[in-house]
Amino acid sequence: MGRLPLRRLPEVAGGTIAAVSGARAARRSGRLSVVLEPWIYLSPALVLLALVMFVPLIVGFTYAFQDIRLLQPFAGGWVGTAHFETLLFRDRIFRTALVNTAWWTFGSVALQFVFGLGLALLLNRPFLGKRFVQAVVFLPWAVPTFLSGLTFAWLLNPVIGPFPHWLFALGILEEPYSILGNPSLAMWGPIIANVWFGIPFFAITLLAALQAIPGEMYESAAIDGATPWQAFVNVTLPYIAPMIAITVLLRTIWISNFADLIIVMTNGGPANATQILPSYIFTTAYRRLDFGYASAVAMVLLLLLVLYAVLLHRLRKTFRSTA
Amino acid sequence: MRKTLLTAAVALCAGSAAATAQTISLVEVITSPPRTEHLRAMVAEFEAANPGVTVEITSLPWGQAFERLATMVQGGNIPDVVEMPDRWLALYANNGALVDLTPHMEQWEGTAELTDATKEFGSVIPGQTHMIPYGFYLRAMFWNKKLFEEAGLDRAPETMQEFYDYSAQIAELDGKYGYCLRGGPGATNGYIMMMLNFLGENRYFNEDGTSTLDDPAAIEGLQFIVDMYQNGLVPRDSVSWGFNEIVAGFYSGTCAMLDQDPDALIAIKERMPEDDFAVAPMPLGPGGKSFPTIGYAGWSIFEAAEDKDLAFDLVAHLSSREMNLEWSKFVGVIPIHVGAEQDPFFTGPNFEGWFTQLNDDRWEPTSMPTFLEEFGYFADVMSIQSGQEALLGQRSAEEVAGEWAAYLSDAYQKWQAAQ
Repeated sequence: MGRLPLRRLPEVAGGTIAAVSGARAARRSGRLSVVLEPWIYLSPALVLLALVMFVPLIVGFTYAFQDIRLLQPFAGGWVGTAHFETLLFRDRIFRTALVNTAWWTFGSVALQFVFGLGLALLLNRPFLGKRFVQAVVFLPWAVPTFLSGLTFAWLLNPVIGPFPHWLFALGILEEPYSILGNPSLAMWGPIIANVWFGIPFFAITLLAALQAIPGEMYESAAIDGATPWQAFVNVTLPYIAPMIAITVLLRTIWISNFADLIIVMTNGGPANATQILPSYIFTTAYRRLDFGYASAVAMVLLLLLVLYAVLLHRLRKTFRSTA
Repeated sequence: MRKTLLTAAVALCAGSAAATAQTISLVEVITSPPRTEHLRAMVAEFEAANPGVTVEITSLPWGQAFERLATMVQGGNIPDVVEMPDRWLALYANNGALVDLTPHMEQWEGTAELTDATKEFGSVIPGQTHMIPYGFYLRAMFWNKKLFEEAGLDRAPETMQEFYDYSAQIAELDGKYGYCLRGGPGATNGYIMMMLNFLGENRYFNEDGTSTLDDPAAIEGLQFIVDMYQNGLVPRDSVSWGFNEIVAGFYSGTCAMLDQDPDALIAIKERMPEDDFAVAPMPLGPGGKSFPTIGYAGWSIFEAAEDKDLAFDLVAHLSSREMNLEWSKFVGVIPIHVGAEQDPFFTGPNFEGWFTQLNDDRWEPTSMPTFLEEFGYFADVMSIQSGQEALLGQRSAEEVAGEWAAYLSDAYQKWQAAQ
């Protein structure tokens, strides 16, 4: 508000223009340096960020509009929006992969979250050997995904592994076969492996949030006569809600970009039943050698993830303002 | 002063370049630790014979080898010598990345001893040679004698009809199946063999440049496999089986027949008594002929190699009679020199199936059209994805064969136009 009269001043009092404008210039240059100073300090980091993040992003974006083959990258030239037209109107694998990506991501995140939260709640109470159990529970997170993918693939193989025989004995399967070969069940294979792999992440982060809840809150809830369920819903959940929101957001983006387990376990098969967008991008780029088209698919995935992040951010804001 | 400094610097650079020029980089792409060790031993002999020369071996795991090598080449980190599988040869040769070995081979005394197939398969561009193969992978039919006996059978099937009937008979045993079908990675060979067996000709393209794969007879071949799958003669999971799964399926006695290359013999011998299985030639099609696929890999030199003569010396060393014989036995391929099959190692009953196919006119080993740049995508992605769709009944054999034929026809016509 204070700026407004200062700006008007020269027009009102003509004689003092020179003096005032001189003072203003001095003040402005002072203000400018004050404004610029932090940016100067930040510039190395900003330049680095631009180099490692935005340059590849922009290059990838331009690839999506060109015909780029791996061994003769720029022989094809610009093709306009041809890739996107094929993608949206003629590519049935893209559509399958899009639906599968949603299924893979939300299936994995939901199960990882539920089991991770349960594990965190269990670990949040004192018991004998807690430190040891904590260390063991976090182990899956440290196993290379390639290895866990292969292990699960063999566990699900009826010739070598036990899973199909157990599922058969439980009456879930009509004969002991590998679910990875059944298009309607195949996605469960990588999801199971991913849940096993991802539970520790939720458990670690949510446990940290749980430990930050002051004990008095539970005491006063108990004095008010709250049942354990009411204490959970009215004390625990509101306290860890921000952590839940941020971990779910992060994991969703990671998992929808995470094709390692699928590539190792099913390679997108059978008949594209487990093909997700990242595995489709990989296949297009490195098997069909079509980097242009792969970039176009990647741009669509990026756009969807940005939309998702914005949506979740909005939801958090409204949630916070109503709470 | 400045000039002398500059000259000194240049001299220094030149000196260090001369000192390091005698390093040959070699990339192997079908890697396993014992294989690398064997290769190192072969290379060590070359280094001993050429003092001052060192060979640096880079080992890429097969599963990622294609994209890793392509990225290396694209990024300018180009090796001198590379282990080149048949699949990629056309891609690199047509893009001018490989040295034409013809003039080198004219000078080399070892050339005369190579089999005709070896010289023929190293060439994807007429009149030029871009690879010296180190051995051949040829499909033949492994069969489990014990399971056959249990099903009341005493010999391997000789025709496609017998192959189907025997499979059905074995599948009646509880939890057992006739054939270890490969529907996952590497499924292409199986489809192609069956399609050609029914077609009765070792031909992928007609005179007019269109593919033969949508010929009604070829479609019948694809339908044959689909029927085997849908009628339960093969394991239900086999729709996604790759090499490891089919081999495990065979040695565990889940499925009684397996079509494989000699390299599977190594894994199977370790886990099965040698008397429990045998290797027969592939069954004959309705026309009395059979077309087992032949594959190969070999050594190529990149155009970027600084000292091409030295690189060729290394390739010549690896391809010499003694080196290649040991390598073939170790890797499980059919050797490349005339008369090498007389070695006692290859004359045993285990190898009979393969050598019958090589020596009897009823079998014609077929090389898939790997000279097409687009073939890699066809083999690694398209044939597997749509083959699975056919097996699972999501699309008809006719529709799938039509898709393959259309893709290969386009690729072939593009190739023809470029010749």
